[in-house]
Amino acid sequence: MEKIKNNPIVKKLGFNRIILFLILLLMYGAFSVIIPGFASMARIMSILNYVYFLGFLALGVTFVIATGGIDFSIGPVMFCCALMSGYSLNTFGVPVVVALLMSIVIGMLFGCFNGYLVAFVGVPPFIVSMATMNIAKGLGSVFTKTQSVSWPQSNDPSGNGWFRNLVKVDGIPVGLIIFGIAIVILFIVMNNTRAGRYILCLGSNKEAVRLSGVNVRKWQMLAYVICGTMAGIAAIFFVSAYTTVQPGLGDTYNNEAIASCVMGGTSMGGGLASIGGTVIGVFVISLLQEGIMAMRMTKEVQMIITGLIVIVFVYADVSARRRRN
Amino acid sequence: MGEVILTMSGIDKSFPGVHALDHVDFELRRGEVHALMGENGAGKSTLMKVLTGIYSKDSGTITFEGKEVEYHNTHDAQEAGIVIVHQELNMVGDLTVAQNIFIGREFRKGFMIDDRRMIEESKKLFDELHINIDPRAKMSDLTVGKQQMCEIAKAISHKAKVIIFDEPSAALTEKEIDDLFAIIRDLRSQNLGIIYISHRMDEIKVITDRVTVMRDGTYVGTLITDECTKEDIINMMVGRVIYEEPKTHSMVPADAPVVLKVDHLNAGKMVQDVSFELRKGEILGFSGLMGAGRTETARALFGADPKQSGDIYINGEKVTINSPEDAVKHGIGYLSEDRKRYGIAVQKTITENSTLATLKEYMAGLFINKSTERAVTLQYIKELDTKTPGPDQLVVNLSGGNQQKVVIAKWLVRNCDILIFDEPTRGIDVGAKNEIYKLMNRLAAEGKSIIMISSEMTEILRMSDRIIVMCEGKKTGEIPIEEATQEAIMDKATRDIR
Repeated sequence: MEKIKNNPIVKKLGFNRIILFLILLLMYGAFSVIIPGFASMARIMSILNYVYFLGFLALGVTFVIATGGIDFSIGPVMFCCALMSGYSLNTFGVPVVVALLMSIVIGMLFGCFNGYLVAFVGVPPFIVSMATMNIAKGLGSVFTKTQSVSWPQSNDPSGNGWFRNLVKVDGIPVGLIIFGIAIVILFIVMNNTRAGRYILCLGSNKEAVRLSGVNVRKWQMLAYVICGTMAGIAAIFFVSAYTTVQPGLGDTYNNEAIASCVMGGTSMGGGLASIGGTVIGVFVISLLQEGIMAMRMTKEVQMIITGLIVIVFVYADVSARRRRN
Repeated sequence: MGEVILTMSGIDKSFPGVHALDHVDFELRRGEVHALMGENGAGKSTLMKVLTGIYSKDSGTITFEGKEVEYHNTHDAQEAGIVIVHQELNMVGDLTVAQNIFIGREFRKGFMIDDRRMIEESKKLFDELHINIDPRAKMSDLTVGKQQMCEIAKAISHKAKVIIFDEPSAALTEKEIDDLFAIIRDLRSQNLGIIYISHRMDEIKVITDRVTVMRDGTYVGTLITDECTKEDIINMMVGRVIYEEPKTHSMVPADAPVVLKVDHLNAGKMVQDVSFELRKGEILGFSGLMGAGRTETARALFGADPKQSGDIYINGEKVTINSPEDAVKHGIGYLSEDRKRYGIAVQKTITENSTLATLKEYMAGLFINKSTERAVTLQYIKELDTKTPGPDQLVVNLSGGNQQKVVIAKWLVRNCDILIFDEPTRGIDVGAKNEIYKLMNRLAAEGKSIIMISSEMTEILRMSDRIIVMCEGKKTGEIPIEEATQEAIMDKATRDIR
């Protein structure tokens, strides 16, 4: 076992991530055996639909957790983005491009709001994001006059349905390409840019970074801005796959995104983060969701399982830290 | 000295990659103060952690009061009568002294906590120890020295038979150390066994009966304190003689320009109207008792804490420093007295820590150029002789001295002209200490200017070209090294107290 762990390739990829990946394959195998017809292209496409939007949420929140913070607002923020831009599209007739950009900008503004309060005002992230969660829900409801918003179908006579090609063209999952590009970019940002380095270091010891002459507030805020922007992008992928958005919802996705992060090896204490791990975590959660649905169980069962996952993995992380110190 | 109360023999403990304890023996008698010495990483703390059940041993036996024992946590050890007074105090600042002492085992009256009885019991404890502390006082209002006394009282209240002091004097003033010693002598006369861990050689001579020396996880030997010299102990610790005379004259040329001028600096209660000049190539010692305002002066100067008034001139030009960012821009580097809190990001690698202040210089466009970053880190690992398998090692795995070198590397990489070393050798072993002294001398010779804050008189006298003495937030003296004596410094450092 030790020998495998010290293998340079295994070290590079991360032992825990390899295990998680094997768990993912095992789960897929298990579901395919238990559920007749699970191993089908349609199922995979359905899983991918979930992967896209959850992936953007989870990748974004990875940056916030890396600073030692937390963001419980991403799910409702995603819904708020989808509601406000979709309503503008349907009611005010703004072009689709504008609606999509609007979604991203609204997400970014939420990120700025959270980040400013946390980094510059000094309000604890937990409190800030809890408050923002409610603001996002409320804002989405008020803007749409508490009505659900349906984005145009791909065959909509207005021609406004073209944005669905972001996810799927003739049954080919092109969304995977966009998601892949996003993973690569965020991986580089986390590991090879100043932003990522400072975010990780300040998650480990903010005061030491400040006393090194780094403007820690700016970089800490940036993590929340990245997170909010990702929620805005997630909204686009959500409506591309699921069409209808209802006001007042979205909080379940917070836990799923956070569960994906901690499963992938991002530490809730800050300072350690793994983009690759988060991605595998997202696949695990998405697969789980699909499997549970296929077994004709309700979403609530999945909520219980995700809740337990968060606790188990945070416990593992905390005890690993304790052993190291 | 009475009969043997505690024997540890053949204690062995390994961590992945480190043989921390290699069949170590240790023996403690009733009514003795037994010093445990050794460089950092020698295994003193690990041995004590094995004793108090924080770590489990791989092999060996612990015999306490004639019975073989093994504790699985500190609580077990405490119950048996072995308690440890940590270097870092574990007190709840918002609770009273009495509440802290009886925390977790409060006296009750029905469902209510019986505060009155806890206060009475605390008073009794303090009377026994001849300590004058009000049990009703809030813990955070006490000085560090007084807080430590409370920690000792708490230890005694557990009916301790063996008390371990882990560098108890590190944060105390001379007067407080005297009080601490009085208490330790008192405990000794009550036939307790006392283990005393310290790096301060003078204290070992004053307070201990025997000295056990460890080196690199092994037992080197035990001496009777009265029969050995400081040099004997140091030789056992490092296997070489280290002794250097104090500086006798300033190494700074008379015409060296002033690089930093601080004019009437005010920052809160701890920095009142402080003015001084620093010359090129000078090591300016800041002496004074704990709480004299030296660190606060440095932090205000560095922009780490806000200041009320005062001007700072660098090379004759007035500069604005409102944040560490400004200070670093103007070529000032600050090594904090508290490495873990202010110096390093422990879960990050040596490389990531070394370039923290200079990351901008390692950018190729948007991206960090990791190979040059690594190369520079390697260069400083070699130059400072940092003991590590490589630049990718996490800082948490390094010893205190080597962590300090990583912080120094951070500022050397920045090529700062003005360096503030705040207690640069605190908690660092003798060997590493000397390396840091050599390094500081070399930097000064290269034309860097250094402000060195130190609470160790020998360090001040050995390193400084000029000495500034502070007392209770004010500058009380400025002494050229030629005229500096311990007495002269002490006199100025205590001017306002008596």
